[in-house]
Amino acid sequence: MSWFKITLIRSGIGMTERQNNVLKALGLRHRMKTVYHPVSPDTAGMIMKVKELLTVSEVDKPLTQAEIHAKRQPPKGYYVEKQGVVREDIEGS
Amino acid sequence: MLLLRTTQRSVLRPQVIQIYSFLKSTSSTTPRFSIPILSRTIVTSPHLRISSIPAETPTPISPPSEAPPTVQSDPAPTAHNSLSLLTALNAQPSKYIMVKIQGFTFLVTTGDKVVLPFLLKDVRVGDTLRLTHATTLGSRDYTMKGNPYIDERLFECRATIIEETAEPLRKKEKKKRRTRRTKTVKSKHRYSVLIIKELVINDVPPALATAAGSSTPR
Repeated sequence: MSWFKITLIRSGIGMTERQNNVLKALGLRHRMKTVYHPVSPDTAGMIMKVKELLTVSEVDKPLTQAEIHAKRQPPKGYYVEKQGVVREDIEGS
Repeated sequence: MLLLRTTQRSVLRPQVIQIYSFLKSTSSTTPRFSIPILSRTIVTSPHLRISSIPAETPTPISPPSEAPPTVQSDPAPTAHNSLSLLTALNAQPSKYIMVKIQGFTFLVTTGDKVVLPFLLKDVRVGDTLRLTHATTLGSRDYTMKGNPYIDERLFECRATIIEETAEPLRKKEKKKRRTRRTKTVKSKHRYSVLIIKELVINDVPPALATAAGSSTPR
């Protein structure tokens, strides 16, 4: 089963009520949000209604919201090599 | 990620040569690298003074009186086959590294105190961190740029968390016109402070040397 990867590139501000309702149905709450929907005539019809605002591609596997968020994060850039000594006389250590 | 390039000063772009010419002319003042990166309250250690570098250090550079070459297109940096320039970089007395911590770039050397613009939640004061993502490794005459990062096996950069501090409390008053209601927003951001304990450049592992040798320069 293939999936549509839909990203809202242009905002829905100033668009008609019908277009904004379609964005709501697709789950696109804000600009640059990415959602995955299965390929079907229903989803295709919704995309066609707001096609000027979207970037669409076809993928095999959908990503969860957590996975999309993790991809966006920059690498931490470090790892803890050695833990410091815990001192009982200092509060909060 | 294994495609690494070391660039000698003579083949750098003109604007970079300008920076080095500036460094050479003001030999009595503490050098300030004018590289446009985001860096916060870095306290550089005094050993970076140019006057402390011995005169007999071999510097394969063009004299400053030579006009910078006018190039139509960017000259391609030389991809050195055996990474032997890394040993030359290592031989120089002072080195710097540009590390990225959570996406923020810091240009540091050993002894620098770095006040991060955020708090590191998963570490405690006193922990030793190994910094892994470096974009540039350099010394006075040599610069090594990663693509986008330098291989982790080539360097060891360790830092210690010395402090978890906060800014002074600041209040922002928000008020609309022709209304009496005033809203006060308080901010007291917390920061982690690191000190760079060591910066060591390792010998090139044989696997990396052969990979660099076989790769063709762009």
